[in-house]
Amino acid sequence: MDIPTIGESRGPRSAYVHIPFCHRRCFYCDFAVVPLGDRADGASSGSIQAYLKLLLGEIAASPAGPPLSTVYLGGGTPSLLTPDQIRAVLGALKQRYGIAAGAEITLEMDPASFDRPRLDGVLAVGVNRVSLGGQSFDDGVLERLGRRHRRRDLLEAASWLQQARQHDGLRSWSLDLIQGLPQQNLTHWRGQLEQALALSPPHLSIYDLIVEPGTVFARRQQQGLLELPEPDLGADLMDLTWERLRAAGYGHYEISNYARPGHASRHNRVYWSGAGWWGFGMGATSAPYGLRLARPRTRAAYAGWLTEPMEQHTATATKQPAAEPAGSGMALDELLIVGLRRREGVAMAELARRHGLRNTDLEDLLAQLSDAGCRGLLSIEGGRWRLSDPAGLALSNAVLRVMVGWWEQRAPRAPSIGAAPAPPAGAHRSAVD
Amino acid sequence: MTDVPVQRIRNFCIIAHIDHGKSTLADRLLQETGTVAERDMQAQFLDNMELERERGITIKLQAARMEFRAADGENYILNLIDTPGHVDFSYEVSRSLQACEGALLVVDASQGVEAQTLANVYLALENDLEIIPVLNKIDLPGADPARIKEEIEAIIGLDTSKAIDCSAKTGLGVPDILQAVVDRVPAPADLVSEPLRALIFDSYYDPYRGVIVYFRVISGVIARKDKVLLMASGKTVELDEVGVMAPDQRQVDSLHAGEVGYMAASIKAVADARVGDTITLAANPAAEPLPGYAEAKPMVFCGLFPTDADQYPDLREALDKLQLSDAALKYEPETSSAMGFGFRCGFLGLLHMEIVQERLEREYDLDLIVTAPSVIYQVNMMDGSILMVDNPATLPDPQKRESIEEPYVKLEIYTPNSYNGALMELCQERRGEYIDMKYITTDRVTLHYEMPLAEVVTDFFDVMKSRTKGYASMEYSLIGYRKNELVRLDVLINAEKADPLTTIVHRDKAYNVGKGLVEKLKELIPRQQFKIPIQASIGSRIIASESISAIRKDVLAKCYGGDISRKKKLLKKQAKGKKRMKAMGRVDVPQEAFMAVLKLNQ
Repeated sequence: MDIPTIGESRGPRSAYVHIPFCHRRCFYCDFAVVPLGDRADGASSGSIQAYLKLLLGEIAASPAGPPLSTVYLGGGTPSLLTPDQIRAVLGALKQRYGIAAGAEITLEMDPASFDRPRLDGVLAVGVNRVSLGGQSFDDGVLERLGRRHRRRDLLEAASWLQQARQHDGLRSWSLDLIQGLPQQNLTHWRGQLEQALALSPPHLSIYDLIVEPGTVFARRQQQGLLELPEPDLGADLMDLTWERLRAAGYGHYEISNYARPGHASRHNRVYWSGAGWWGFGMGATSAPYGLRLARPRTRAAYAGWLTEPMEQHTATATKQPAAEPAGSGMALDELLIVGLRRREGVAMAELARRHGLRNTDLEDLLAQLSDAGCRGLLSIEGGRWRLSDPAGLALSNAVLRVMVGWWEQRAPRAPSIGAAPAPPAGAHRSAVD
Repeated sequence: MTDVPVQRIRNFCIIAHIDHGKSTLADRLLQETGTVAERDMQAQFLDNMELERERGITIKLQAARMEFRAADGENYILNLIDTPGHVDFSYEVSRSLQACEGALLVVDASQGVEAQTLANVYLALENDLEIIPVLNKIDLPGADPARIKEEIEAIIGLDTSKAIDCSAKTGLGVPDILQAVVDRVPAPADLVSEPLRALIFDSYYDPYRGVIVYFRVISGVIARKDKVLLMASGKTVELDEVGVMAPDQRQVDSLHAGEVGYMAASIKAVADARVGDTITLAANPAAEPLPGYAEAKPMVFCGLFPTDADQYPDLREALDKLQLSDAALKYEPETSSAMGFGFRCGFLGLLHMEIVQERLEREYDLDLIVTAPSVIYQVNMMDGSILMVDNPATLPDPQKRESIEEPYVKLEIYTPNSYNGALMELCQERRGEYIDMKYITTDRVTLHYEMPLAEVVTDFFDVMKSRTKGYASMEYSLIGYRKNELVRLDVLINAEKADPLTTIVHRDKAYNVGKGLVEKLKELIPRQQFKIPIQASIGSRIIASESISAIRKDVLAKCYGGDISRKKKLLKKQAKGKKRMKAMGRVDVPQEAFMAVLKLNQ
């Protein structure tokens, strides 16, 4: 399946649920999170209980749709929730949409935020995929990232996941690592990769550190206290990751994601395919029919937002520029931004046709890419456009800048996607953020 | 007619170095005389252009009429005529001095006299102005009025026994200044019965009323509805308005000899009513215009190109409009294979150039590429003809030219003597020819050099300031053209000639400049997806080369549901940032790179 036509699927089959609570905020983090202190847990926290009430309310009041085939509980640190609380969230989703047989149900879990019985408990209520926020195997690095866990906690958590894979219905798990950290060099990173591979995770997400405004890291950077690797070293780190993981049998299926065969994240592929998804909870973004709606990033604002009549959110959606009429799905430039992240790239000829573009439009784009020295980063076969791996993926922004600029020149006369039927009347909250 | 007798009018200006407190003192005078109520006081009332206030300097002249009850119990009219404080505008200064009978010489009581001040004081003395020394910032801990007075006496030869101590900040000494203006500045000559002659000392363009002309009536009377002749431009216009600046414009029926005021007459461009021109009555013209009229001549040239070729018509329109209010601005279309369509513009100096550039970007919302400033070269051709070249890229090939001459200036640097060595070294580096050095006081000197203007219009002023911790000041004037061994230094980016980076340099410096230039460009041009060679050449000979290695990584690691909008925003912003660069061949070159030649010493 490639980019499904939105609407053809009769509504989204994926749901993202945001659980914002954390023990503390890491130094690089700018997500919508609520730090509760090192001893916080879903079993005892009034904040968590109050939030879940709002969340379940939002799910229950959301428009109907087909049964879900992927659910992702992200955060925050969703592993702070008790199995019962997770059961309640999944139950609400099941009641509103149903959960399809064989659905992928992912829970983000942080080392040192759960123990073996807690893992067994969440598996028992239906979770079958875990994304483990390891980030690093180096205690000094973890300390400097503001993480609460240490290497020992990470190894222990990974061993439980390995065991659960064999005996307890855990279908897959993923390990998150951050590369391009302050003072990182090739030797250090090689060591990190080897330790990760020793745990044999079916899936690896490897993210570059991004210094976001408003974070502790941003402040340190401003003060000149954050020594990030030079751009060329960053490229070397990326190359090393690519080579080492490929040699170990992992496929590079998306810019930052590697998986053994059959273990690519189905939920994340939804984001990159341009298909719609539900989103629930404070700070969550939903895009059930292609148009994104971001929820407020604080609990109070989220609670207020929930009391607003749904039409108000829908009304925002009608204020779209003509180029992106409500219900027509994602704009072409956005489809390219997400679609080209994947190894398989995008079916450009088909997309262009759906957006009413002519061959000359694509020729113009190719000419612009050539002028920018980017043409060599793309491979084109049978109407499918892909970024070369790894050089093209590593320079994807250079290619996308040209594409975004090109699309902007065309957007005013771009027709809506004729093939896409309107969504069910009044059936969704939808607007761009 | 205003009924002030000529004997009770005083016209004066303030001469001061930048930062010595001229604007603050002017504000204080307006306040003390009740011309501007306390509550209406904006800081630095006279500098009313946004740009001026930001830079803390006066670019355009302004004037204000004040009423002051003097010690003799009589009301006097005091006209304060402001003067620009920058060397680019010395002609304007000379005209405003001609409109006055006296000047306040404001000197910072801790810093002493600076070259710019000195130049203007000499101008004032030449114009026979009564000079009242004022020591400002007397309240600051570093103030040493006795020493500064001594310095003023030694340098200028002014009697400082009646100098006034003042603090424009606290208001100390301000009433004394006003009384001194009445007592010591002579009243204007009573020439009311002679034919009208009024001197234009400033003008600006008002989109509703046409050019507003500021003038001083030297003789006769000017009245509303008069038909007047502008003697230099030859224009005849009928006056819609005559008035005074109090300091807001206030209409009156007429103004007579000795008074300062403004007029509006639906004049379309300031070029029709230039500073220095003489206003007379069309029906009863004066026999002779006032002396000293000269047209401002541009000394510095640069190319202005829109980053986006579509903005070319907008740039033309903006320049047309700016010229309505800036008679010194000259421009003509320029085409370059590298840059497309733009304009070659002439300016009075570097500051003038920066001001125009900033106004174009700010007031007209244009994204511009400005090439490094150049002077105008005289090329003696083999066939005996003479070519004036204001654009280095158009310098004819060596086999066609016999010689090149470049403009020289007389440069005076005024400095504490501890910086002599550093400054002489700087002047040497800039091909200066030493003329002499004079001790003005035991620890301050004037260095006198003759130097190519091209060396002055680069970063000379900034470097001089930094090498002397800001203590030295300078003044220059054009003295003519001289032959030199000059060559054209071209730059190639990705094997394509980059016209706007072409410079004309002395043969002896060509290698160093070429090397410095390619190194600087390597620093300033962002890495792109391919390797970019950068070369400097004289003719076909490459004298320096560098290359920018290809970028290998430009990617955003994460992109999930909520990140998509952010990612798109980021890409759009970056794409816009690229638009601010000029694509030369396949290489995006940022604005700073076009000024690289000015930054070789940093």
